[in-house]
Amino acid sequence: MAAAPPADLIDDVTAEILLRLPPDEPEHLFRAALVCKPWLRVLCDPAFRRRYRAFHGAPPLLGLLHRLQVLQGDPELGLVPATAAPLSPCPYYRRPLDCRHGRVLLHADNSDWHFVVWDPVTGGQQRVPEPKGIPWLIYTGAVLCAAAGCSHLDCHGGPFRIVFVATHDYTSTVMASVYSSESGAWSALASLDGGCEVYAQHIRDAVANIPYPYTPYVQPMRCTLIGDEIYCIIRWRNAIVKYNWASNCLSMINPPSHNAFDIALMVMEDSTLGFACTEGPCLYIWSRKVNSEGAAEWLRCKAIELETIIPVPNSWDQSFVAGYAEGVDVIFISSDVGLFTIELNSGKVRKLAEPGEYFSVLPYMSFYNPDGGRLSSLAKLTDV
Amino acid sequence: MASAGSGDEKAAAAAMITLISSDNEKFEVTEATATLSQTIRHMIEDGCTDGGVPLPNVTSKILARVIEYCKKHATAAAGEEGSSSSFSDAAFLEVDRAFLEELEEFDDAFLEVDRATLFDLILAANYLDIKGLLNLTCQKVADSVKGKTPEQIREMYNIVNDLTPEEEAEIRRETQWAFE
Repeated sequence: MAAAPPADLIDDVTAEILLRLPPDEPEHLFRAALVCKPWLRVLCDPAFRRRYRAFHGAPPLLGLLHRLQVLQGDPELGLVPATAAPLSPCPYYRRPLDCRHGRVLLHADNSDWHFVVWDPVTGGQQRVPEPKGIPWLIYTGAVLCAAAGCSHLDCHGGPFRIVFVATHDYTSTVMASVYSSESGAWSALASLDGGCEVYAQHIRDAVANIPYPYTPYVQPMRCTLIGDEIYCIIRWRNAIVKYNWASNCLSMINPPSHNAFDIALMVMEDSTLGFACTEGPCLYIWSRKVNSEGAAEWLRCKAIELETIIPVPNSWDQSFVAGYAEGVDVIFISSDVGLFTIELNSGKVRKLAEPGEYFSVLPYMSFYNPDGGRLSSLAKLTDV
Repeated sequence: MASAGSGDEKAAAAAMITLISSDNEKFEVTEATATLSQTIRHMIEDGCTDGGVPLPNVTSKILARVIEYCKKHATAAAGEEGSSSSFSDAAFLEVDRAFLEELEEFDDAFLEVDRATLFDLILAANYLDIKGLLNLTCQKVADSVKGKTPEQIREMYNIVNDLTPEEEAEIRRETQWAFE
């Protein structure tokens, strides 16, 4: 017989085993922490937490918030948990705007309108005033990690940006600004104007087709982030607004379909912009390919027959794409049977909620590992 | 398919390596089988395999199982390389699929061992740096741990609880939600 393996070797293989506990069921990690000191020591090791995140790649879905259209009213308050992991109490808000990079962006109206950046795992909260000079009519926004070189697998604390894109209440223009937590200030305002030819054409088409003064309404749905650019949608003809927050520049690009309803933008596997919509029982996904000369074209890259993968609803007309979770390649579909997630790669389907008022799903994704410092101090591991 | 290099490849594939277990048993394996282990691959690259490779951490019982795994998966790797040039060919894809299914069945049957053997296989896979085998065996243990209480996990794997009752109570209080 070989001699009993030394303790650090045992720790090595223990780590190999615990690495493979699923992140979307965080309770298993916490139960394993109570098995014995060596297991607790492995789980509390910051190096293990880093390896765990790298091993699983994308953080799991811990909960959902819902953004609704104006006519649907304000949604029920609170983050709906998707796992057993306890999250910190949700601060007061009126409308949720985004979940990204471990944070939630909320728009609140107690005393005056302002933003709250909330970390549901650590409980951290930060109040941020609105940018001056945008009397908004309808808007969307995003929060993103601004730490250089961050893999965004476990952003808690650290610098962040807030992007705000809104339809101006009086001038019917689309404006945007970006907030930096480092400088504590909003950028100068950017506005979409005739300098962008696609936007100029959009306005000419609107004037020719709409019998009343046209207002480009920013859709109150979650933005899509690719590199330094945030994408959102204008309601009429699904025109896409691109805001480069690094250069503070707004422009417009044409969508692949002008007349689809309830579309969602997404990030494709090759980091191109995606456009998803349903037509009856079929889900179509386009990808925006940009060639080496900078010319872009939309290619339809997926057509998925929904009736073969989600429960057949009473009416396909009420089914729509309600959002997308990046990294895990999950699309949210709402129908009169419920709210579902579809993993695009595997086709795996999960029912998340009963049928209800949905429009734009904000997926809160983060790893939820045992708090190394706290648990190791409880077990007096410091002497090990 | 024929190329100038294929004769050399065949010669390399046929080169034999001797592995020596902790209880001094010798196993003759092809280089293709042995190099699924990164540890052995590095030894071959450094030219230190003459006279056999001693593996003082692996018993003959476990080494025999490890070699069984490597033989099967080395064939699979060779099969993949052979068919990659015809990737678009539906018939080849069909063959690949059948092969992958067979490999999955092999892996499932391979894992039908008692827990002590499973742990020895993990230690060997870790020491020999055989990624596929390490993943297969560790995933099996992780799956068996899922949904179990700490008491059940200790009992399953003969783990001694070295937390004091006070420490255990404190941690349990902090993580109560995970036990509900």
